[in-house]
Amino acid sequence: MYISNNWLTQYVDHDLDAETLAEALTMAGLEVEGLDVIGAALDGVVVGHVEAVREHPNADRLTLCDVDLGTGETVQIACGAPNVAAGQKVPVATVGTTLMLPSRDNPDEKTPVTIEKATLRGETSRGMICAEDELGLSDDHSGIMVLREDAEVGQPFADYLRALGTDPQDAVLDIAITPNRPDATSHLGVARDVAALYDLPLQRPEVDLPSEGGEAAEHVTVDIQAPEACPRYVALLVRGVEITESPAWLKQRLTAIGLRPRNVIVDITNFVMHECGQPLHAFDFDQIAGRKIVVDTAAGGETFTTLDDKEHTLPEDTLLIGDAERPVALAGIMGGQNSEVTDATTDVLIESAYFDPSTIRRAAKLLGIASDSSYRFERGVDRVGQVWAAARAAQLMVDLAGGTLVPGMVDAHPLPPEPVVLTLRPERVDALLGVHVPTDRITHILTKLGFEVTPDGDDQNGEAFRVTVPTWRPDVEREVDLIEEVARIYGYDQIPEPAHSRLPNRTPRELPVAQLRRSTRALLSGLGYRETYTNSMLPLDTAEAFNAPTLGGEAMHGPVVETLNPISQEMKALRPSLLPGLLEVVRFNQNHGQEVLRFYEFGHVFRRSDDGGVVPGYAEHEAFITVASGPVVETTWDQQGRPLDVFDLKGVVEQLLTALRIPDVTMTPSYDPTPVMTYHLQIASGETPVGVLARLADDVMDEYDLREPVFFAELDWSTLVGLAAPYLERRYAPVSRFPVVDRDIAVVVPRRQPIGPMMNLIREAGRPLLRHVGVFDLYQGEHIDADKKSVAFSLRFGADRTLTDQEVDERVAAILNRLRQETGATLRQ
Amino acid sequence: MLELVDELRQEMEAEEMTSEDDVERFRIKYLGQKRGRITKMFKKIRDVAPEDRPAFGQQLNALKQETEARLEQARERLAQDRPDETVSIDLTLPGRRPFRGSVHPLTQTMNDVVRIFERFGFAVAEGPEIEDDWHNFTALNFPPDHPARDMQDTLFIEASEGGEGGVLLRTHTSPVQIRVMQEQPPPVRVVVPGRVYRNEAISYKSFCLFHQVEVLYIDEDVTFADLKYLLHAFARSLFGDDVRLRFRPSFFPFTEPSAEVDIWWENPDHPDGGQWLEILGCGMVDPNVLTAVDIDPERYTGYAAGLGIERIAMLRYGIDDIRLFYENDVRFLDQF
Repeated sequence: MYISNNWLTQYVDHDLDAETLAEALTMAGLEVEGLDVIGAALDGVVVGHVEAVREHPNADRLTLCDVDLGTGETVQIACGAPNVAAGQKVPVATVGTTLMLPSRDNPDEKTPVTIEKATLRGETSRGMICAEDELGLSDDHSGIMVLREDAEVGQPFADYLRALGTDPQDAVLDIAITPNRPDATSHLGVARDVAALYDLPLQRPEVDLPSEGGEAAEHVTVDIQAPEACPRYVALLVRGVEITESPAWLKQRLTAIGLRPRNVIVDITNFVMHECGQPLHAFDFDQIAGRKIVVDTAAGGETFTTLDDKEHTLPEDTLLIGDAERPVALAGIMGGQNSEVTDATTDVLIESAYFDPSTIRRAAKLLGIASDSSYRFERGVDRVGQVWAAARAAQLMVDLAGGTLVPGMVDAHPLPPEPVVLTLRPERVDALLGVHVPTDRITHILTKLGFEVTPDGDDQNGEAFRVTVPTWRPDVEREVDLIEEVARIYGYDQIPEPAHSRLPNRTPRELPVAQLRRSTRALLSGLGYRETYTNSMLPLDTAEAFNAPTLGGEAMHGPVVETLNPISQEMKALRPSLLPGLLEVVRFNQNHGQEVLRFYEFGHVFRRSDDGGVVPGYAEHEAFITVASGPVVETTWDQQGRPLDVFDLKGVVEQLLTALRIPDVTMTPSYDPTPVMTYHLQIASGETPVGVLARLADDVMDEYDLREPVFFAELDWSTLVGLAAPYLERRYAPVSRFPVVDRDIAVVVPRRQPIGPMMNLIREAGRPLLRHVGVFDLYQGEHIDADKKSVAFSLRFGADRTLTDQEVDERVAAILNRLRQETGATLRQ
Repeated sequence: MLELVDELRQEMEAEEMTSEDDVERFRIKYLGQKRGRITKMFKKIRDVAPEDRPAFGQQLNALKQETEARLEQARERLAQDRPDETVSIDLTLPGRRPFRGSVHPLTQTMNDVVRIFERFGFAVAEGPEIEDDWHNFTALNFPPDHPARDMQDTLFIEASEGGEGGVLLRTHTSPVQIRVMQEQPPPVRVVVPGRVYRNEAISYKSFCLFHQVEVLYIDEDVTFADLKYLLHAFARSLFGDDVRLRFRPSFFPFTEPSAEVDIWWENPDHPDGGQWLEILGCGMVDPNVLTAVDIDPERYTGYAAGLGIERIAMLRYGIDDIRLFYENDVRFLDQF
């Protein structure tokens, strides 16, 4: 919202420079987001008197003028304007004056030009007679500006303007109004804050308030059918107005805050709205059928043309202002074309009403119209400011448009408000703010803001106040709201920080989930994986394609979650898996020349669920994913990089699960392809599924244009944290001080025999001495039967004593025996 | 028998050792614990005539010492020879680098912020991203027709009827305040990091989701001055001791009085040499919020503050496009 500083000074006579004012308002809660200085100071421009005019001997289009500048001598000035004539009073830029002159091609582009003594085709010219655009007063360049005959020769031109109520220069503040400050949507409202901040008097224009009824009530009736939506409707009549342009001062007020002047009647309604915050509407009274105003809600579906010539289909319950026959305005939003003030208008009906904020907000939103009027009604205008505003506008119409006020008024006020009276305890101010604000300071601030403060007779200590809230502050409903008013004028920056602050006697613990995320990030980053942040919202078909129960767990089998109002169809659904987001990352980086593609992410995933979640109907949990593709090591001068395969990622996941101390981990292979996975390992801890490790299906690779095989592991992080939490507290296990014994065995087994189960057999048969088993060779080919393979295991035995050869030999024999029985293994010769 | 010792000595002295392997073979051949030749000769001492035994013993011990000395000499010599070998290594060849990993800049900033508050005794709390209307709005004192409850601002999963029954993507981390206060009586001192959502068009300065860190302290005698103290201490910790802040009045439904906090950001290109940039919103917890979770607002007061992690990360790293955080370009990630 724009506030003109010149306009503001009409109500509070401050002498602050614009920067200081902007800073002060910002620090009082009216954030000034922009500050523009408009116009020019016009130093050096004076009122001149054109004494004589004659043709320039050498130039057809120039006139030579003798101009009296009030200095005692007459100067010759060449002028190119068609309208210059002897006897005129004119603004003259004297030699040495710098003006911002508009470019001929683009009036908005202005460059500084200093007026110099010049010789034009042999004739001297000492100064410049100015047009309005050259003075920055308007865009008018049709001729020089001719001043009033009574202008004083030699007077600074700026003084001349000021005497007429205009000012060549102004500062315009762009203020961001928070929802709790409907009172500040006007110049008087902002002036009230300035008056409170600097302890200056607030000067509200004097207006004669008409009494209810009278002649006006004989000419027009008001019928409110929707008293909740329209608790008050004030109507005044002004007859015999002449529709002209507004005077310069009024036009300047409006243009300063970015409004385009229209005609004097419309300009007055806009002026009064920006003066006091009460939106007004002026109807052409002759167009009001039956001389009757009816306030009612729309049935819905009707069409209505607003005064900006746009046709709207009305939603049900839109609040309408109608006459005896038809709607004439969208209440609180915009008037209708059928009743607007035109050049032919002579009688004006001024509407000044209070409309319910939510009613107007809803209608404006449904209609897609945001007007200066709806902006104010939505926030809540002064609950009882209607009569003052209407009378103020009527008075200006009498003064500026030659109208006659019809005595009296219609004031339909079916639901008058109760005054809001609050109790304020000064000690509560101190307790909340942490600073002692003297009582008289509190009462002074509130009084300056329009609150009535009296001692509270019911208070036993006699310290509390009864505070009556002004009608323009609908946001102030509680003691704490009063405290905020005190605080913002007292100044947040005046509240000192304490030297000490207390802490509750409690020790917060780091959450297991945070602790484990931290160590996982360190591990994965150390292993060359990069953390990503991807969008939680996906296209619906993508979300559904990846809604395979990859993560296992019965709770995670529900349909995907969709939003009702997606930003775009690309973000219609919530991710059921982190995988699609990561595949986009792989694709993006592959297409930007990256070969090493290793990523991980933590993030919430979502599904619908009938089981109770935190929010019933939704299963949400944190997932962890790691995705890898590309070379596993760098190709260097002595080693060839090789592409990463499933065992690289499996190793990383094993490492991670070990680091998390997840107990009893199993990885069960599945060679059946799914739409997303070529093959996979189902990862579990005991009976609890915790995730999956897989190779991405070729079809999905093609869909994402991925060139190298992609492997991923997605884990249910919430479940993992639950499993890992008991192991966060570490216990030391003594390290054996006895030597270990290493043995290697090589066996020949059928080619289809999987190795994992063999290792489990070895672990069982090797008990209790076997400490570790590894696979160090896998061979098929020469010297081995075609349907067989050779596997070599490294075994390490140990105990809390020195082992004898004999007992190790026994274990090895037991292992070989077990392998032979279960897998047909023979010792390789 | 003594001549046997001499023979062995000659043989031993004739051995040449030019590698570590030779040295080891020499050691095992003469001094090995079971089959070393000197070791075995010690066992023959029983075959020597008793009168010759002292001499034999002396000789044999001398031989053993000489052998050990030779072994040591050979080891030293080989050790000295090693520098010759290094000449054949080109140490200017590049090292074999493991691939580099990284932690996302938003995580780093989030952790830095959370850690600071943890140092001030705040416990971390987390909550769901799918929220119900009551926790996200009603309990936080948003009136039923507040603009934030509009579809234009908030992503809904189930529409709400006059503030009832809606399910949505949380628009701030503040609902976690409510969940914590429902579970725990005061004092409550928590910091809440998390992802939040807004129905906003994506541009260089706004994204449809972002990350917030919220702090909440509810206790007896908590004041606005305490809030200023905490946030100033936080800002000094994150931005340096000479940081300048200003608190200006603002409005949030869930705090009263409310403030926005600006930080003075030096910028030599700016006509004023810098500018005030908003970094967080805060205020004293509104009594209606406390009432909603059955905490007596006459007995307890509290403060709350919320910070946007993207905004802080953009400031501290000089990033001018929020979308970079979600693009995950390795060339971007590698810088953190």
